[in-house]
Amino acid sequence: MLFLNLGFSQSKVTIQDKEIMLNENEVVVEVLGMVCSMCAFGIGEGFSKTDFIDKSKFNEGVMVDIDAQYVQLAINESANINPANIVKVIEEAGYDVSTLFILQNKKLTKFSADKLGILQPMAYNQSQSKNN
Amino acid sequence: MLRFLLVCIIFLSSISAHPVVFKNGKVFWVSQSTKFNDLRLGISQTNKWLVGGRILQDRRSDETFALLNNNYLAKRWNSKNAQANIYILSSVGVNTKNSESMGTVGVHGDWENRQLMVMQMIEYFSHNSSWMSGSRLAYSPYKVDYTKMSTWLIAEYQVEYKNDNLSYMFIPVVRVFKNNYLFEVGSNGDDSFLSFMIHF
Repeated sequence: MLFLNLGFSQSKVTIQDKEIMLNENEVVVEVLGMVCSMCAFGIGEGFSKTDFIDKSKFNEGVMVDIDAQYVQLAINESANINPANIVKVIEEAGYDVSTLFILQNKKLTKFSADKLGILQPMAYNQSQSKNN
Repeated sequence: MLRFLLVCIIFLSSISAHPVVFKNGKVFWVSQSTKFNDLRLGISQTNKWLVGGRILQDRRSDETFALLNNNYLAKRWNSKNAQANIYILSSVGVNTKNSESMGTVGVHGDWENRQLMVMQMIEYFSHNSSWMSGSRLAYSPYKVDYTKMSTWLIAEYQVEYKNDNLSYMFIPVVRVFKNNYLFEVGSNGDDSFLSFMIHF
């Protein structure tokens, strides 16, 4: 894995020209094919059945933005984030993952799907804002 | 004539419904027209395969049909702000009064983005050797985010081929949905229907 931004508990990432603030233990997933709220309902349902989502944040731990085509997730502090588990839930809802950002242990990591749809760690340079 | 109406309502329901939903997702769907009551429940075993049961009642003859549906997502293309699908659909069932059997097989294709949708379907009905084709062209006048209500204006066109005869029907439809609830109403003056669907 490639860690470029170290020592910060808040960071900004960009998806479809929208800047998204990412806090510690959060994940932002760029999702392909998400065209309507009824279709995207399955994403929230899928994550509600996992044990790594922090349901005290967002809407039961999940925030869906169809305009910018991303899903933001709050992860339990004790959970070790496995991108494969997140991709599995998105795919079982019927969508594909394009890009995934994880901010955990003050490290921001970006993954991008290759031609086979397998996530690969990528270099990522984005501005950050330190969390006071 | 009864057969024709039955085929029409089955077909209407097929192009109105979401053929497959998310893994372990359930679809409850109810529709009523002047001629039929229609109730169905489906469960997606995977994100590509849904099986379900259906009760269809002809309100005039008081006949009831019990059907099993099998919907398979053959191919999906996901891209930024758009999605396209090809489904294979089939069903088998009986008339609960006389146990006469019937079966259907069809192909359903669609493409949609946030404001446009096109849908095409063709289906074969074994009991009367008929074919039906249906098309939908839909437009949403505004984009909404995840929590707001979405509205779609739909032009639906149906063609049936039976006994070397072609028949046609056009029906305008309004669809609204919010979160996991969907409601449709359609009428062309002669025929009309209401339907409600929930995913859970």
